[in-house]
Amino acid sequence: MKRFSPAVYNLVLILILAWPLAAQDSAALAKGKQLFLGMCSRCHGITGGGGEGPNLNRPVLERAPDDKTLLAVIRDGIPNTGMPRVRRMTDSELNSLVIFVRSLGKVEAADVSGNPANGRAVYAKLGCSGCHTVAGEGGDFGPELTNIGAFRAPDYLRQAIVDPAAALPKGIRAVPGRGFNEYLPVRVVMRDGQEVRGIRLNEDSFTIQVRDMSGQLHSFRKTDLQALDKEIGQSLMPNYSAKVSGSDLDDLVAYLWTLRGAK
Amino acid sequence: MKSSCTLLLLAAGVALAQVPYQRIVGADSNPGSWVTYSGNYQAQRFSGLDQINRQNVSQLKLTWVYQMQNSGIVETSPIVSDGVMYLTEPPSTATALDLRTGRPLWTYTPKIPSDVIIIGSPPVNRGMAILDNTVFFGTVNCHLIALDAKSGVVRWDTKVDENQKGYYITSAPLAIDGKIIVGTSGAETGIRGFIDAFDAKTGKRLWRTWTVPGPGDPGYQSWGGESWKHGGGSTWLTGSYDPQLHLVYWGTGNPAPDWNDDSRPGDNLYTCSLLALDPDTGKIKWHFQFTPHDVHDWDSTEIPVLFDATVNGRARKVVSMANRNGFYYVLDRQTGEFLTAVPYIKQTWTDGLDAKGRPFARRDADPKVNGTLVYPDITGGANWWSPTYSPKTGLFYQAAREIAGIYYKGDAEYKDGTAYTGGGGERKTGDDAFGAIRALEATTGKQRWEFRLITPPLAGLLSTAGGLVFGGAEEGNFFALDADSGKLLWELQLGAAIRANPMSFAIDGKQQVAISSGASLFVFGLP
Repeated sequence: MKRFSPAVYNLVLILILAWPLAAQDSAALAKGKQLFLGMCSRCHGITGGGGEGPNLNRPVLERAPDDKTLLAVIRDGIPNTGMPRVRRMTDSELNSLVIFVRSLGKVEAADVSGNPANGRAVYAKLGCSGCHTVAGEGGDFGPELTNIGAFRAPDYLRQAIVDPAAALPKGIRAVPGRGFNEYLPVRVVMRDGQEVRGIRLNEDSFTIQVRDMSGQLHSFRKTDLQALDKEIGQSLMPNYSAKVSGSDLDDLVAYLWTLRGAK
Repeated sequence: MKSSCTLLLLAAGVALAQVPYQRIVGADSNPGSWVTYSGNYQAQRFSGLDQINRQNVSQLKLTWVYQMQNSGIVETSPIVSDGVMYLTEPPSTATALDLRTGRPLWTYTPKIPSDVIIIGSPPVNRGMAILDNTVFFGTVNCHLIALDAKSGVVRWDTKVDENQKGYYITSAPLAIDGKIIVGTSGAETGIRGFIDAFDAKTGKRLWRTWTVPGPGDPGYQSWGGESWKHGGGSTWLTGSYDPQLHLVYWGTGNPAPDWNDDSRPGDNLYTCSLLALDPDTGKIKWHFQFTPHDVHDWDSTEIPVLFDATVNGRARKVVSMANRNGFYYVLDRQTGEFLTAVPYIKQTWTDGLDAKGRPFARRDADPKVNGTLVYPDITGGANWWSPTYSPKTGLFYQAAREIAGIYYKGDAEYKDGTAYTGGGGERKTGDDAFGAIRALEATTGKQRWEFRLITPPLAGLLSTAGGLVFGGAEEGNFFALDADSGKLLWELQLGAAIRANPMSFAIDGKQQVAISSGASLFVFGLP
């Protein structure tokens, strides 16, 4: 009677042991994918490439280096960021999502073809630093970009340049509140007809705080106003589609994509 | 001789009782006090005081502030009687304050186990009840505690049910003649809901009425299989009471699991309903189910408000409710007959209601794994915060939310003391959402006026004989509106979200208005 060689025996054993595990994993993966498409893809993209939320096609997620942390991030969200607790989940749902999100880390990240060094020059030439700060340098009328590459994906960054109104950031902090448009342009007309246009800093039902184009703060009680137009869907950032395109645009996106804050 | 002395002493004892039952019945004739959660048994949250009025409300000044001992969301609605304010602090502390100064007289915090289970809401407490010389409050580990009103000494401490199965208490009990009626939270852990009555003197349970019927009970057929055992139907907000009809009105919460209905085909009685109970026996005299087979977590625990009015030419005793599902309902409170209902906010879950008030619920609005956008959101058009009814204007005022939610269906696995929700909801907050204080004709629900808020509110309302409606905003503004027109008369920034109900009382004959913001209770009066 011919005996199996130890190697074949081991292989058979491994297959027998691994088979149910693999089946379980693939079921969890499928379930995780279904949950991800429903709850996560709006911000992280259908294949995890990111968008308004960070790209997940990376082997290491800084906020979630191990599965335990990743599970906690999915379960609880991350305070003061755009990452909410979407809903309460069972342990099995959470585990399936962890397995699927980990699988996204093995997907090759979208190619960002531009040249960041040239992008930096484009950034300077266009005068972006007039309104944006990177690593302590620059203006402060628009959002700080020091860490922008860590939480926006290239496609979103590109859109913010060529169609900024379509990529107005949604509030993630207490001011003016989660989900509110940040940097929202408003036009205020006082009783005497005087007009102020600027961005909304904060608002409640009775008052509004506005910063005008010169950086001046204005505080109004709404009962004192003739008109208050919230220009939802607009941005005070100029549309740069006519000023930058082609490889310069690729390079600029590539530069912004490298901005991951102080290490 | 000896026996007449005893009688005299007994009579004196009764006379000295701080808040006898009859005083709560007659709450409207003593508006300087506030002796039950909603101000009177009719749950109108209306103050008969008129010193603060349209002309002088803009002169309101701070009288005192009390800062809570613990952090956490403050949803308390104080009780005021005989120079003392009784309030609760999160999660389960009872405190008595000197009414003139806000200085604490006593405070009591029961031992709460470190493994306490609170699933379904933040660990809040909405207030106390008072009867005779005793105050009563519920705790997050599901005890009902009676304290001596003068000293805070514990008279009794009764376990209402098992916290390790998910039962907990956030609402103020309702004190009626000799009885303390209390509801429970916990549908998100798959409890089986109930309403309990306890003997006010001894803390012994007098009756329990399950809100989810068991085998053989009427309504049992509205559940599939064993689903009734963990069917939810919690009872987490204070009901109202009609002393003449001798009926208690109490709303019930969502079926469990909330967003996954696979295990519970049928109407799921008596979830998302209003129950009229005989307080002597707990027997259900009638029920009205607002949302049969709810799949959005729209509890119907909202405050049932009682008033008498002519409806369609006929004098009626009615009960009305601005329901979390977006409709304002008017029912006959003697019989439970449906009289009318109209949406008071945008809703997309039903193609209206039939002649008996049953919704034509849209099944395409059911939760899905990848989410379904529906108005309103899971918090709903209304929720725990109180509406107010003014007998002077005949208007029902509601702090209403205009906001959509995305509803997800998920797995539902029952295990004692863990979440049994089967999905969840995401709120579509931001510039598209808003809120409004809406004044509805109480008998028809027709909107008379609204005052817009930029954020959907989580704070209740008070109306007063001075022609005012007081309310609070998420951004911390406390404000007064003209009860007839909705015109803004006064507003002050208190520095933190207002998630409480305003109420009113008098100190030495001077009217005050109280509201909590953040972890502080503010009291305002005229200079």
